[in-house]
Amino acid sequence: MLSLRELQTRFAASLFDEAPERVTPWIRPQGIDPLARIRIYRNNLQQGFLKTLALEFPVIERLVSAEYFRQLALAFLTRHPSASGDLHHIGAPFAAFLGEKFGGTRYSYFADVAALEWASQECLVAEECTSLDPRVLRAVPPGAYATVRFRLHPAARLLRSDFPIIRIWEVNQAGYAGEPLVDLAAGADLMLVRRAAQGIDIRRLDPGDFQLLTALAEGQSLAEALEASLACAPLFDLGAALRRCFELGVLTEMTYDQSRLKEYSP
Amino acid sequence: MSLPYSANPARSSLGAGIGLRVQHHEEVIARRPPIGWFEVHSENYFAPGGTHRAQLARIRAHYQLSLHGVGLSLGSTDPLNAGHLRELKKLVQEFEPVLVSEHLSWSSVSGRYVNDLLPLPYTEEALQHMAARVRAVQDALGRQILVENISSYLRFSCAEVPEWEFLAALAHESGCGILLDVNNVYVNAMNHGFDAHSYLHGIPRPVVKEIHLAGHSVTNIDGREIRIDTHNTHVANEVWMLYGAAVKRFGAVPTLIEWDADIPSLEVLQAEASKADWIAEPFHAVAA
Repeated sequence: MLSLRELQTRFAASLFDEAPERVTPWIRPQGIDPLARIRIYRNNLQQGFLKTLALEFPVIERLVSAEYFRQLALAFLTRHPSASGDLHHIGAPFAAFLGEKFGGTRYSYFADVAALEWASQECLVAEECTSLDPRVLRAVPPGAYATVRFRLHPAARLLRSDFPIIRIWEVNQAGYAGEPLVDLAAGADLMLVRRAAQGIDIRRLDPGDFQLLTALAEGQSLAEALEASLACAPLFDLGAALRRCFELGVLTEMTYDQSRLKEYSP
Repeated sequence: MSLPYSANPARSSLGAGIGLRVQHHEEVIARRPPIGWFEVHSENYFAPGGTHRAQLARIRAHYQLSLHGVGLSLGSTDPLNAGHLRELKKLVQEFEPVLVSEHLSWSSVSGRYVNDLLPLPYTEEALQHMAARVRAVQDALGRQILVENISSYLRFSCAEVPEWEFLAALAHESGCGILLDVNNVYVNAMNHGFDAHSYLHGIPRPVVKEIHLAGHSVTNIDGREIRIDTHNTHVANEVWMLYGAAVKRFGAVPTLIEWDADIPSLEVLQAEASKADWIAEPFHAVAA
């Protein structure tokens, strides 16, 4: 008799089309070919996976057609099966999967579209967290400004693409009635995705703002982030950029070097 | 054997509840319909933030809630998924559900999940394994869980006992309660050729703490009918009849209408719940 472990290993393998004949002798036919019984479960697995993936990547599905999306989903299932009892996580490696599959072809932008869709999904369910008010900066002693650090709000993501991804995303929204053609050479996008009161907000950022937020998200200090922004945007205005970031609510958890505080204490 | 956990707080006065899906969140918040209680799939609220979780908190303020897991993979021979269990525990602590349940099934091996409810072979090895897992989950949560029988489309030839004996033994060994899905009993009776009433009579009266009702569909393979647990339609007449026999035996335990695909209006679900209440009404005294 097979151990429970061995039976589960063989049965699960059969659902991924791997050697079903190793488990069929352990399934009672009861008038139906055991392979047909396995197919019921395989179909459940594939349909559940496909349905969830399609909900998470509606723009990719629109771009490639439902029929080809199904083929992609099944290939993706084989390469990256669910690793969690919570099906909502399956889409995490999808952008990288599309990048491998279509990299170097005229469809190489698929990976960036998928990354945008996954970032939106992540922002939708990210932890709740209070956005900082610009007045918090008043508490920082002048000598410590350079050492200020923030955390990017958990419901915000920064994305970069060589393609006009926001435009592609827009024309593939349900109900879009404008010009459907997108010039793939129309330029790169630097993007901020965030959860706003009304849902997901996707917007283009200037290079300076994008660099500032990227550096801050990596844990760099305000001085380091400013330097990085000036390097790509010589006319960068830090005060105005910070104001925009506060208005968008994407900064949280401010810290600064406390040792500077002592120097300025009477 | 004594139950190591406090008596189940579910009361028969809960009446029939409805499986709550996100499509109905806003309507429930706005209209606050007269529904006994709601049950949700635990995993749909594991995410730490966002609209759905916030809406569930608002709904919980006015209704009793039950958490029904579909992804813990209780019967798997992989180590118990500690992250999954941690998320479940957080949810239990935040929402204080009246009932917490999972399935008599497994869904993963070697870390690969199929996110479906797969049948176990009903062997002594599987029983001891499952009982140990249920105990571990109950210890982690600090409360009793209910384990639900599933619909299945195959049986393993190494099975030593019928499903109802396995389920009853699991409740005895682990101290868990049973969530008896009457639709699944009927589906399996038809798919595997046993008497559904034998199943009901094989389950001890006091361990059944909740009943599920759902719709199923019939398909044809190799010229044989097979019933699939699709949760996409009304409860079948035969299942209503079996439900009558179940409440006669187990009393008017909290009963839930499940409908997960082609989800209808709340009114349709409420009508199904009213029907369950009507059938169970004469048996309230039994459950008291």
